Amino acid sequence: MTREHNLLQDAIAGKRAALARLLSNVENDSAFAMRLAQDLAPHAGRAHIIGITGPPGAGKSTLINQLLPRALGTHERAAVLAVDPSSPFSRGALLGDRVRMQGPSTGSNVFIRSMASRGDQGGIARATATAVQLFDACDWPVIIIETLGIGQVELDIMNLADTVVVALNPGWGDTFQANKAGLTEAGDLFVINKADRPGADSTRRELLESLSLLARRPLPTIVETVATDGSGVDELWGAICSRFMQLQADGDLATLRQARRMRLANKSIRAELDARAAASLASSAGQRLTERVAAGTMSSEETTRVLLQLLQGDQASAP
Amino acid sequence: MQAKTPPEVIRASSGFELKPFYTAADIPASHRERIDIAPGEAPYQRGFHPGGYRSKPWRIFQLSGFGKPEDENERIKFLLRNGETGFIMEHDRNTADHCYNVDHPDVVARREDVGLTGAVMQSVRDIAICMDGLPVDSSFAHPGGAVVQHAPFALAGYWTVARRRGFQLDKIAGTGQSDFNLTYLGCVTKQQIPTDAGLRFNADIIEFCGQHLPYWVPVSIAGYNAADTGLNPAQELGTLFANAVEYLDEMKRRGTVDMQMAAKGCAGVSFRASIHIFEEAAKMRAARVMWSELLRSRYDITDPKAANLRVHCVTAGSKMTYQQPLNNIVRGTLMALAAAMGGVQSLGVSGYDEALSIPSEHAHQMSLRVQQILQEETNFCAVTDPLGGSYYVETLTAQLMEKAWEFFDEIEKAGGYLACLDSGWLHARAAENQHDEFMAMETGEANIVGVTCATEDESPYEVDGFVGTDDAFDVATERLHETLRTRHESAAGTALKNLEAVCRGSDNIMPAMLDALDADVTLGEIGDVYRDVFGDWNTPIQT
Amino acid sequence: MNQPSQKRILMSKTGLDGHWRGPTLVARALRDAGFEVIMIGMANTDEIVRAAVDEDVDLVGLNIGGHIDVALRAVRAVNEARPGLPVFAGGTVPPHAKRQLEELGVEVYPPGSQLAEIVDAAYRLTGATAPA
Repeated sequence: MTREHNLLQDAIAGKRAALARLLSNVENDSAFAMRLAQDLAPHAGRAHIIGITGPPGAGKSTLINQLLPRALGTHERAAVLAVDPSSPFSRGALLGDRVRMQGPSTGSNVFIRSMASRGDQGGIARATATAVQLFDACDWPVIIIETLGIGQVELDIMNLADTVVVALNPGWGDTFQANKAGLTEAGDLFVINKADRPGADSTRRELLESLSLLARRPLPTIVETVATDGSGVDELWGAICSRFMQLQADGDLATLRQARRMRLANKSIRAELDARAAASLASSAGQRLTERVAAGTMSSEETTRVLLQLLQGDQASAP
Repeated sequence: MQAKTPPEVIRASSGFELKPFYTAADIPASHRERIDIAPGEAPYQRGFHPGGYRSKPWRIFQLSGFGKPEDENERIKFLLRNGETGFIMEHDRNTADHCYNVDHPDVVARREDVGLTGAVMQSVRDIAICMDGLPVDSSFAHPGGAVVQHAPFALAGYWTVARRRGFQLDKIAGTGQSDFNLTYLGCVTKQQIPTDAGLRFNADIIEFCGQHLPYWVPVSIAGYNAADTGLNPAQELGTLFANAVEYLDEMKRRGTVDMQMAAKGCAGVSFRASIHIFEEAAKMRAARVMWSELLRSRYDITDPKAANLRVHCVTAGSKMTYQQPLNNIVRGTLMALAAAMGGVQSLGVSGYDEALSIPSEHAHQMSLRVQQILQEETNFCAVTDPLGGSYYVETLTAQLMEKAWEFFDEIEKAGGYLACLDSGWLHARAAENQHDEFMAMETGEANIVGVTCATEDESPYEVDGFVGTDDAFDVATERLHETLRTRHESAAGTALKNLEAVCRGSDNIMPAMLDALDADVTLGEIGDVYRDVFGDWNTPIQT
Repeated sequence: MNQPSQKRILMSKTGLDGHWRGPTLVARALRDAGFEVIMIGMANTDEIVRAAVDEDVDLVGLNIGGHIDVALRAVRAVNEARPGLPVFAGGTVPPHAKRQLEELGVEVYPPGSQLAEIVDAAYRLTGATAPA
């Protein structure tokens, strides 16, 4: 731990290589990540964490590339965590988001880190939360997270970001029937990117319709952008900042973050329980259990009761 | 070399199975009626002109250029002296493709690359140096502008110099390129105007040439760039015509030039001649039929001037190997033969050092000699369409057309050619083929002589990469400052403002571009206007 | 339980040349071999060094499409910023350029190299173990 401790001190002192190595350690070693998260918890909460999510091809990277210079007008530095999917077959990944952020990437006031999802299904990676904490602790005042292209259940960004920006394109309604509800619930702000294409107006109408079905009032802001030439991006950054300042002024930020932390803890607990249950079921006792369930000789209620006992037994025998 | 057991199935590059031999019964009935139609008659399967190469041998047309404009000028004169029958002015890709001046940070960071693949031409002054003493009136020229956003500058520069030398635009002959396949598919630049702005530029050029330059081929769609990115011959054909349809539909929508004129403006194309020689020859024959059928069925055009496709061909650069580079002279010869058997009007043969660098003077000379030997010594030019009537080649021609139309339809169904570039659909098709092609090589299913087999090399010659000059960047920097210092500043400013206004509006860009070039406006300033007005294309691929 | 650390490779092009065929093939082969491949496209020396540091990669791959001096400058800068970080290269690398790169410790895979060779080199240079 001392080497890691030194790394942390170096990272906090502003050494990029140390921060970069810690990020790798967080990704590679979940036990370390857990310890670090615990150590960092008291220091977190200073940064404004912004999530950019939306379907593949919505222009998320290009938007971030445009947002960065604006963010640097407000803050001294800005960090980006760009998540891309890992291949379920090889565990490898192609991480290409940096290509579209090459312009600002070399300034010492920007830190871009590409991250593979490594099997996580929630649109970010398992390590993303701790990575964010780390950036926060190292005094990066604004952290932008680019999620995977959003699918059915990839909404974990809600548990992580103060501001969730959902990026869509004209014509979104036709292709995204299934997950409309999830997306509209996730977003604090909506961007219709590539708004110079036909269908921007009807997309705005459709989006408003979906949003008005939700209980939330006032309705989230909708901004139209053309990220390739930068139009509308000033307005977007303005909307992100003013919403955040409003939250701070009203004291709602703290409440929001509490709820978020609870959701994150909940998810983590469930994930851990799932993992343990799976491990238990894979044991020889668990195997016998599953056989009985499959044969119909044990009810699902009884199975649950026995499994819980097994789990407690596992815990008791754990070192 | 180990003898391979013959595979059970042998396929053409386009995917269909090849038979061990062909008979008359293999030729599809619908195709049989075309076989006896003479060259020069619709649908032109057998060629452009009844006299074929007797009346006009193919044009020997080599890509060339490096260094300073005067270095390029010297190389073009070398080629013309040695028998080239047209000339091509390559611009430095770092500056040209991105519309940057040499002082742009992205260029400065790669200063040694400047001038490596073409001459640096940032203003009409540089273009004038490159054109010094070149036969503008008597030779067919390609003044550069392969990449879409660069084309208006390159064309306007050439035309301005030509005009200043007293030539009338309505008399000079040549070709533009502004190729979408290069720009958005094969060679994706770091910065580029979006495809819809690109379509507008090309339509503007077609319109302008239709009104002012009757002997100029305004744009030239290059199947080559689709093929060398990985698309197979049938896909190359389908893609090329799907591209042409985008241009023609736009011209029809505009209604500013006669559709016959617009079609003629799109009828000068280029293909890749690759190494499966019979399939490649068949491709050129198929292309002519497809073009005339497309024009007739979709636009009701039958005028031979438009319906008769003129084809420039370049041998496949990606087939040239790094190992044992002299073998590439043989490959170049075979691919040239394929193109000539297909009846192309114009041909460039890749240098034998293609995999190492741009061509050395000697490699260029060999590319000429290959073609000259074919034209002068083999009696090749005596007879038109030498493969006509071959059971095999006629069947291939028909099969290629069928496959190509299928691919054309697929593109249309996926939203059209432009949409397929924006979405990365075409890139994905190319990548699939690349992968398969590579795997065939890795697994030993396909052999490449000197690379995967026959690797021993006794050659006494080391072929090293050609490095042109080392002062291109410095001289270009000096000349840029000189131009900016000595030009008539208010005239340049006015011309640039006017160009910007035109870009923001919908008028044809070419008159304003000609004025800008005439007023010594520089390439980078024009690029800045583009970036401001049109923004950047959202590249669908990760490189 | 942790799986063995995932190795990360930075892939960049040194020139402003947009031919993507070769680099894409290699990047996909590396992904399929289990590597996380960070692609930064056409990048200059500063951008390459910044990415090599911030992304904490285990190997840098350069696609060289232009003058060798541009590539050499990038290699030297990487060597300085991350001493000991291995670099391999491919692309249009004529013999004289290959020799110069090799003098700086760069492994060079010219056109015609097999993907399997390149993947093997990546395993070896990153110290990763190839899957059985």
